[in-house]
Amino acid sequence: MRANFIFSEVWIGLRRNLTMTIAVIVTVAVGMALLGVGLMINSQVSSMTGYWTDKVELSVYLCKKGSPFEACRDKSAISQEQKVALEGTIREMPEVESVVFEDAAKAYENFTTSDSNRTLAAIVKVEDMPESFRVKLRDPDTAAAVTERIEGQAGVSNIINERDLLDNYFGFMGKLQYMALGVAFLMVCAATLLIGNTVRLSAYNRRRETGIMRLVGASNVYIQLPFVLEGVIAGLIGGVFAAVLLIITKIMIFEGIQVYMPSPLGWDTVAAVITGTMAVGVLICILASFITLRRYLRV
Amino acid sequence: MIHFDNVTKVYANQNRPALDHVSVDVDKGEFVFLVGPSGSGKSTFLRLVLKEERPNSGAIHVAGKDLARLSNFKVPHLRRRIGCVFQDFRLLPNKNVYENVAFALEVIGKPRRFIRKVVPEVIELVGLEGKAHRMPDELSGGEQQRVAMARAFVNRPMILLADEPTGNIDPATSIGIMKVLDRINRTGTTVLMATHDAAIVDSMRKRVVELEDGKIVRDQSRGVYGQAY
Ligand SMILES: Nc1ncnc2c1ncn2[C@@H]1O[C@H](COP(=O)(O)OP(=O)(O)OP(=O)(O)O)[C@@H](O)[C@H]1O
Ligand SMILES: [Mg+2]
Repeated sequence: MRANFIFSEVWIGLRRNLTMTIAVIVTVAVGMALLGVGLMINSQVSSMTGYWTDKVELSVYLCKKGSPFEACRDKSAISQEQKVALEGTIREMPEVESVVFEDAAKAYENFTTSDSNRTLAAIVKVEDMPESFRVKLRDPDTAAAVTERIEGQAGVSNIINERDLLDNYFGFMGKLQYMALGVAFLMVCAATLLIGNTVRLSAYNRRRETGIMRLVGASNVYIQLPFVLEGVIAGLIGGVFAAVLLIITKIMIFEGIQVYMPSPLGWDTVAAVITGTMAVGVLICILASFITLRRYLRV
Repeated sequence: MIHFDNVTKVYANQNRPALDHVSVDVDKGEFVFLVGPSGSGKSTFLRLVLKEERPNSGAIHVAGKDLARLSNFKVPHLRRRIGCVFQDFRLLPNKNVYENVAFALEVIGKPRRFIRKVVPEVIELVGLEGKAHRMPDELSGGEQQRVAMARAFVNRPMILLADEPTGNIDPATSIGIMKVLDRINRTGTTVLMATHDAAIVDSMRKRVVELEDGKIVRDQSRGVYGQAY
């Protein structure tokens, strides 16, 4: 096999179809970048889901004086005996793993150290903060049943399942991810058609050469390889552009929101995503070239 | 060398066979003219030898190989042992004489050293010495056909197929082309030439196989073009 012969043929082919080649590169780049973003969101969401599933708790807020919640209104604050009784009841439930009491001081500390509450922190006082039991469940899916049973107890103000808050956020990330993957799929289809068209044009332009090659007994590999390589090289260049776009996305977007994320997206994930999208891009190019060649280059 | 046994070829969407129960034997080193009116099946015969087309029935053996049992990926190896020349030369317009001839060896993966040695030899054999760096559009029709013959012969094929090689060339120049074909034939290469050119057939006095409507109507050693009528 004469490598320089094949590469000169590939180079000529790419230059002769320059506009189509550019179209292929752009489509592959955008398609693969979107696929990569989808995968990155996916990895972010699943690592965060794992993180939160460990941490998710029910917050059982207790009545205090002047509490506006329905269950406590016109009642006095929870008494010490009620508190002990409530803790005992919760602890005896088979679904509960652990119970921690959080007093107003601790709540105030958590509140003021959290990044998102900086402006409010100045005007909130320790006395404003509610007391609560932090209930950790063995299985987060039992939250509804447990909530129902605690709700009626004396001195309970309201119960918040932290997962409900997160679900909103995950739902948003999920939609973003499906949108990126959906558009990526369309781009992949467009790329496949474009590559097919490029290879067809290329085969038409080089029909004299391939005709003679066939006649003098060049092997099928020798005849088809330049066309397939054309597709592969265009795909690779597109993949490189996609990699650059993904790195920019990681720096500009993922690092920007990382402050709020307990488990930031690592560079190893980005590297894996880039490798994956490149592989997909090149594979698509090879497949599209082969399928087209079977139709337009009789051997 | 070439053995057709009761070969029939009907093209798709065609009800009349292009070749109709044809049986021919061509021995090694023979020079055979394939004559007959237009549409009689001469080109079809040559395409069957190359396995560019498949017969509907009958058996074809080329160089001892049964073409029906030759797998697709071995067809290129068969074609390496057969050279082809056509009426329309089929040169690459963006390559010069040397490159056009060398192309046939490059694409079958021959080493460069070998190419550099044999290409000038064969260019001289066809009488184009000193013109190796001309482009095809700087050559006459006769010279272009010599390039095509050099390309067909450069890999020293056992068989040379020529489909009306003098079809686009004036009679005087055609004589030169025939001399080259004769020279190639004398190296031991079997030559099979389809033609309409009566003067050439008459002057060469070689074996003549005449087709008409896909049937062989004459097979004569040292024949002439139109003797049957
Ligand atoms: N690819 C094809 N598809 C369908 N029919 C074909 C095809 N090639 C040839 N034919 C038909 O087969 C018959 C024989 O054609 P062929 O080309 O072998 O004739 P020929 O003797 O070479 O003619 P000519 O002297 O004009 O070159 C003709 O009737 C032609 O129309
Ligand atoms: Mg013909």
